[in-house]
Amino acid sequence: MKPSQRRCFVPNASKAELDGMTASSIAAAVSSGAINAVGIVEAALARIRERDPRLNSFTAVTERRAMLRAQAVDAGRARGELAGPLAGVPFAVKNLFDIAGLPTLAGSKINRDNPPASRDATLIARLESAGAILLGALNMGEYAYDFTGENVHDGAVRNPHDLERMSGGSSSGSAAAVADGLVPLSLGSDTNGSIRVPSSLCGIFGLKPTYGRLSRARTFPFVASLDHLGPFARTPHDLALAYDAMQGFDPDDPTCVDRPVEPVTPLLELGFRGLRVAVASEYFRCKNTAVSSAIERVAAALDTNFEVKIPEAERARSAAFIITATEGASLHLDRLRRRARDFDPAVRDRLLAGAMLPASLVVKAQKFRRWYRSQVLLLFGKFDAILAPATPCTAPFIGQRTFMHGDVELPVRANLGLYTQPISFVGLPVVAAPVPLKPLPIAVQIIAAPWREDIALRLAHALESLGVAGATPSAYQIKAPLGASDGDQPAGRRGRSQNCI
Amino acid sequence: MKSKKRKKPKLAPSKKRPERLSKARTGSNETTFVAAAAPTLRLQMDPAWEASVTFNLQLLMRHAALVNEFALPDEAEPAPVFRA
Repeated sequence: MKPSQRRCFVPNASKAELDGMTASSIAAAVSSGAINAVGIVEAALARIRERDPRLNSFTAVTERRAMLRAQAVDAGRARGELAGPLAGVPFAVKNLFDIAGLPTLAGSKINRDNPPASRDATLIARLESAGAILLGALNMGEYAYDFTGENVHDGAVRNPHDLERMSGGSSSGSAAAVADGLVPLSLGSDTNGSIRVPSSLCGIFGLKPTYGRLSRARTFPFVASLDHLGPFARTPHDLALAYDAMQGFDPDDPTCVDRPVEPVTPLLELGFRGLRVAVASEYFRCKNTAVSSAIERVAAALDTNFEVKIPEAERARSAAFIITATEGASLHLDRLRRRARDFDPAVRDRLLAGAMLPASLVVKAQKFRRWYRSQVLLLFGKFDAILAPATPCTAPFIGQRTFMHGDVELPVRANLGLYTQPISFVGLPVVAAPVPLKPLPIAVQIIAAPWREDIALRLAHALESLGVAGATPSAYQIKAPLGASDGDQPAGRRGRSQNCI
Repeated sequence: MKSKKRKKPKLAPSKKRPERLSKARTGSNETTFVAAAAPTLRLQMDPAWEASVTFNLQLLMRHAALVNEFALPDEAEPAPVFRA
């Protein structure tokens, strides 16, 4: 192997420039030979070593695997093979994705006793087939029953814009790692808002595709009726590249719908003209000034003053609560009987309560779900996309128990998904588009009809082009460039070793 | 190098505490139900957890009431449909 394939080869890029590279710019540079994949991976690993002790976003770093993979990408290019659309792009996954050789933690203590996974999750394999390089597993709320990013076993993931604040959950590490630029791309899951909530609090783009679009094979489940997987990135273009690489039927996932691959990347530049957009009213109208400001800016940029009422949204959220609690409890019933003390208490007590709900409630909630779906689909005869808040507030402080919603005080843990639950309840595709407000960002949900991820991504791309939506550099990237001491890391994190394979 | 001192988390003002935040009512139907259901369902239940589980059950039952009061025809099908 040539030396240039083994060692960092970054002729025209400084470390700071590598720090800010998007997935698409990395893929273009690796494909053209301007940068090699080994150099990209070495730089990303250095960032993780240097900065993750502050964030606590990674639970395992797959360094050896990543270097081998990067060498293979560079070797393939040297042989003249066509580089994939994600050539050399580092990514990481929520630790509920199976990674061959590691136990799939799903944020829990209990799963640490499981044997290592024998195969990668389908979506990891598909990203790697496109040239991407897995760097590791990411922290998350226990068993994905969380909106805060706090985890009693692995510690809270910290928000890169303010280390004292929540990252949001349950895909906490997935959002924080991308927001701080450790990796340009990550994967998470979203049952009730677990992609959209941390996207909002960390100020990055997140895509929750249509229910059944992306394979869930070889990931640890939560609520089979509501579970989705999707990507996080700093641009809609990167989301689209990853999403396109992951599409396609998978017989290993019974919920994955057999539809043709419908690439969205070529459609991004079509813009928003001609699309009918409305703002969700009533239940989704929020008195929080950051939330209302973000919605107003996005609506103005998209030149719409239409409003639409999503009927029975509050009841839809309640039905989602019921299905989540009961299916989650059913999944974990045996563990609740044998190892209740090993759960995060906040998760355990919700699951125990869910185990006690009568089956009649679940059936009613599922019947309501079908009715609600029919009513929501009618709205897409009039509009192509609906705008709604992603979260009812910007990032709360870690440990904060309640927040003010108008003049009502609500618990944080159960209510950060106030606006996301009625949407994922019927599986609609959504892009969480961050509005870079000061001092903290917040996202707007761009909701489209089933299977129309292209519309949500087009609108997100248009908003980014207009300068209304966009990921902002983290506080660390702005104030403390590479080389800062690790003596500043928050208490409770120092010294915790990461798993490496 | 000194480690960064953690700020005490700021809590939202507590001037308004609606019913949703009230602790589990002792002696409520749910309290009795939780105490009886746990052994019936063979669930581990430390007495110290009962108040929190009851609180969560009360929260779920409020959501359940909202779902239950919505009238649907007898012919309504659940969202997931099994195909043989």
